[in-house]
Amino acid sequence: MQHKGNEMTAIVSCKGITKVFGKGELAVHALRGIDLDIMEGDFATLAGPSGSGKTTLLNMIGALDHPTEGEVTVDGQSLSGLSKSALSDLRLQKVGFIFQAYNLVPVLSARENVEFVLRLAKVSVAERRSRADAALAEVGLQGMETRRPSALSGGQQQRVAIARALVGRPRIVLADEPTANLDSKTTGELVDLMYRLNQDSGITFLMGTHDPRVMAHSKRHIEMEDGQIISDTRS
Amino acid sequence: MLAALAWRNIWRQPVRSILSLIGLAFSSLLLVFMLSFQLGIYDTMKVGALGLLDGYGQFQPVGYDDDPDISRLLPNWQALVEAAELDGINTATPRASSFAIMASGDTSFGAAIIGVDPVTEPKVSTLASTIIEGRYLAKGDEATIVMGEGLVRNLGLTLGDNVTMLGTGNDGAVAADVLELVGIFSTGISGLDRQITQMPLARFQDTFNLGDNINVIALRGGDFSAVLQAAPALAHMAETEGAVYLRWDELQPEVKQMITLDLSTAMLSYGVMIIVVVFILLNTLYMSVLERTREFGGLMAVGMRPTQIGTMVWLELIFLSLLGAGIGIALGAGVTLWVENVGIQFPGMDEVFRQWGISGRVYPDLSLLSAVAGPGVIVISIIILGLIPYRRILGLEPVTAMGAA
Ligand SMILES: Nc1ncnc2c1ncn2[C@@H]1O[C@H](COP(=O)(O)OP(=O)(O)OP(=O)(O)O)[C@@H](O)[C@H]1O
Ligand SMILES: [Mg+2]
Repeated sequence: MQHKGNEMTAIVSCKGITKVFGKGELAVHALRGIDLDIMEGDFATLAGPSGSGKTTLLNMIGALDHPTEGEVTVDGQSLSGLSKSALSDLRLQKVGFIFQAYNLVPVLSARENVEFVLRLAKVSVAERRSRADAALAEVGLQGMETRRPSALSGGQQQRVAIARALVGRPRIVLADEPTANLDSKTTGELVDLMYRLNQDSGITFLMGTHDPRVMAHSKRHIEMEDGQIISDTRS
Repeated sequence: MLAALAWRNIWRQPVRSILSLIGLAFSSLLLVFMLSFQLGIYDTMKVGALGLLDGYGQFQPVGYDDDPDISRLLPNWQALVEAAELDGINTATPRASSFAIMASGDTSFGAAIIGVDPVTEPKVSTLASTIIEGRYLAKGDEATIVMGEGLVRNLGLTLGDNVTMLGTGNDGAVAADVLELVGIFSTGISGLDRQITQMPLARFQDTFNLGDNINVIALRGGDFSAVLQAAPALAHMAETEGAVYLRWDELQPEVKQMITLDLSTAMLSYGVMIIVVVFILLNTLYMSVLERTREFGGLMAVGMRPTQIGTMVWLELIFLSLLGAGIGIALGAGVTLWVENVGIQFPGMDEVFRQWGISGRVYPDLSLLSAVAGPGVIVISIIILGLIPYRRILGLEPVTAMGAA
């Protein structure tokens, strides 16, 4: 779904997010007042030194964790007060995740891993199969549909993870250091792939990363430091 | 989907799963065999103890069990013999009995004398099959008697000798007869072999002045449980005629007591075994749940609900325990059926067993109960206790789960 002209919709909206881990003397202020809107079609990178709060912020947006204060809205729906099951459903329908460690299900083949989210979403068998194969083809894995993760390279596993993140047609794909475990050639290929998906299909990406190769492609660059956003620039 | 995933997860750790299965299967096998064996012994005991003389049930006059006096007569016994027509009952045989002095030359001994119907009696009691010399009473016999070998020896008799019997009749008058020894039995129970004698019922009724009255009717059916099932109907019949019906456990309360005692001791050891197996298995599974916490975090991140993950793990447990118990039941049934054909001999135990009417060889008895009870308890305990890992998974937070080592 692409938008015309300057009319932009915020897919994710964070208002006054803080996150404190622990209590008293040991309290860690991981996020200190984040206000951020991610727009439809963004291809945004989230950078900053280690410990600056990138992962914490991505977890808040992805409904994996609750902020101490503030409110996160995803696709117009506020996350405050949702039950565990409701949050699971929201992740299933609106958010795609890509992790540094791939997090594929080891006993499922590439196709089954991609189909898995469609099964959770109760998509019909026939549609599931064709959508999963199309997603795998899109990430360049035709012919490897029946392999299990253990029979795939790191780059290939991450491609499966990307296909899985995309197949449910999420409103946003969140990626936390998606290339940290990969060599530079594979990193380049994956960034190209994600960039193409953003350009051609208008899929919104938000990526936490240290990798200059990833940042080089970004259309919007957000810098964090010590739990705060210190710059937010579009190129 | 959850079931398929659970099934595959089981085989991710094939060694661990196979070890769990072996443990489960082996303990199920043991439980099936031991329980079948035990129930088999009980059956043999019951059949042996009651089949020899008492029968699987008896109609008696009120009070006869406490004071078996010849003057206690079974009312309207011709109607009670009809019990043989009931489902599960094969034969009903009338008896009358008293005590008498048996004399031969200068020697005399007291013994029980039972008047029996030579035709129906052998269908109820196996005494006739323990004849070691001569023959059992036959249709048309008149002044004949069969005795146990102990009494025969004490009296110094040989087959064909005459025995003088002296007792008290129903009317209090002297009852005397001279009977020909036609058969000697040896039941292996020395008390019986010294004290029991049998003669034709008709002659007994004459001698003891009973008219055509009797004291008890003994019953037998195809198998024990069938007779037990007919007990309420039999009790009703007895009540109608003003008599009482005694089940096997009322005829031989010691057998019942011994079975109950033995069974409760056995239950204790089965219980301990089941507890050990269940806890080892749950521990293994719980470890694998802890190991996979990270993975569960990943599954939650892509939108799987904690309840779905919990159900998946619970299904793993159910599949594993059903499979293990199934294999165990199959193997246990196989072993039991095989032993059922050959029997087991306990050297040196013959004498003890014989007291309970069991021959030297013991046979297990595989039944639905003995096959399913033990493994069933294991499976049900595992399924119920499997809610512990289930609850743990419900409490997982995706971020902490993903952060777990
Ligand atoms: N579960 C937790 N308990 C306590 N402190 C935490 C927890 N998770 C994160 N933190 C702290 O919050 C701060 C932000 O962590 P976060 O993981 O978001 O940083 P990051 O920017 O992703 O770093 P990196 O680049 O190393 O991945 C850090 O100081 C970290 O130690
Ligand atoms: Mg991080």
